[in-house]
Amino acid sequence: MSQLGTALVFWPAAILMLVWGLYVFRTASMARAGLLLLGALGLEGLLFLALASEFLGVLMVLMMSGEMIIMVFFMVMFMPDPGGLMGMDMVHDKRRSAALAAGLGVALAVVAVITDWPGAVVSPDAPDVRAIGYEVMGRSMFSFLFAAITILFAMVGGILLAKEGGRLGLPEPTDGTSRRDERT
Amino acid sequence: MSAATPFAILLVALAGAGAIALLEQAVAGLRPAPAAIGASIARRLREPLTLPSSYDAWLYHGAPLLLALAAVAALATVPWAPGFRGIDLASGTILFAAALAYVTPAVFMAGWGAGRPLAVVGGFRFVALMLGFAMPLAMVITAVAAPAESLRPTDIVAVQSSVPMALVQPYSLALWLPAVMAVALLPPFDTATAPDELGGGAFARYTGPEAAIVALARRILVLAVSGMTAALFLGGWHGPLLPDAVWMAVKTLAVAAGLLWVGRRLPRFETDRLLILAWKVAIPGAIAAIVLAALTTLLFYR
Repeated sequence: MSQLGTALVFWPAAILMLVWGLYVFRTASMARAGLLLLGALGLEGLLFLALASEFLGVLMVLMMSGEMIIMVFFMVMFMPDPGGLMGMDMVHDKRRSAALAAGLGVALAVVAVITDWPGAVVSPDAPDVRAIGYEVMGRSMFSFLFAAITILFAMVGGILLAKEGGRLGLPEPTDGTSRRDERT
Repeated sequence: MSAATPFAILLVALAGAGAIALLEQAVAGLRPAPAAIGASIARRLREPLTLPSSYDAWLYHGAPLLLALAAVAALATVPWAPGFRGIDLASGTILFAAALAYVTPAVFMAGWGAGRPLAVVGGFRFVALMLGFAMPLAMVITAVAAPAESLRPTDIVAVQSSVPMALVQPYSLALWLPAVMAVALLPPFDTATAPDELGGGAFARYTGPEAAIVALARRILVLAVSGMTAALFLGGWHGPLLPDAVWMAVKTLAVAAGLLWVGRRLPRFETDRLLILAWKVAIPGAIAAIVLAALTTLLFYR
């Protein structure tokens, strides 16, 4: 893609990404928050595509859809007000979290500016697919597997907690009626 | 990719969606009537836009657009002929899966946004279904890409110049077809939009131009998955005598007719049976398919 084409995709997508990311915390509806996050992360995939990191971009666009949809379900499961109809506030402990976020943002920006970035991590003729493949199958394999299993445990645990009655289940009814009758 | 490419893709999408609509009539045993399709579109466009009483406007109005975007993006990755294809990336088949992955949020948005119980149930059902079937879809793509040693659709078509992939990997085709039928909302996998059981499910409340966009996007989806099936499994544009693009069109329409015909013949599956099929049969089967494809590649393609 030409430099102009890259800029025409990159800047609108980057700005829209940040705006949607901000609106994740401005909305009270869990479905909207999750889908806005999906949109922001999908746009991030588009940024990778615009910067000619094709495989990463396509993979990001692909993976985020499934992940964020699952997250919407977890948010709807856990929140007492998933539709945002009772005016629940998504933001807590506002002053300290704002200070923390601002400090962290400045620190990251300083790091990004003062770091001596290499001009090209892989030579331009080496496909990034190959480089990522070696990275993933090589020294990063252990950390990837560890993260994957941890996430799986967290998901199973989360579903158990979200079940009616939590991880202990419902107590057996004492008056002789079956649980099914009670509910209907 | 030239400046004319987006228009060419849109033209293919519109013409192909018309062809799919005619095929639907033929499969239903009716005489194909373009006039009836035109009349139903005109009726939709004249219809007043009625909105559900309590709904989430952003999600409700965004859903048809996202569905159409996902369908057109998926269609754009299909290789039609050596010189004519929309987006030709080295990871084009993954982009196809990525585009189809956005059908799930679109259906969820439509269901949740409408704010009606049956529509929400339809959206939830589709998410459950696609969490199961998105994985075999992507894994089968890996299996099919193995002989070509490339994720580029045109390379996968090129490697089938003598033997179509459907003969080399019939097991991959058997795993692929249910997955693409599920993502294209085709019966017997249409639990999300079940016309009788859920009264239309996730898309039931749409009227007017938005209903027309949903109907169009669903036909484009059928076209896209049929085209990709023809390219990945039936040898794409390879064939004797006829020009490349004609072969591709014939194969695509044949696949589409087959999918629609099967949908007319089978009753709709229950959601829990579909999930058992996905998690206990399709995903383990897809892992086996990847191993078998790797063996086939080492034995016959090197």
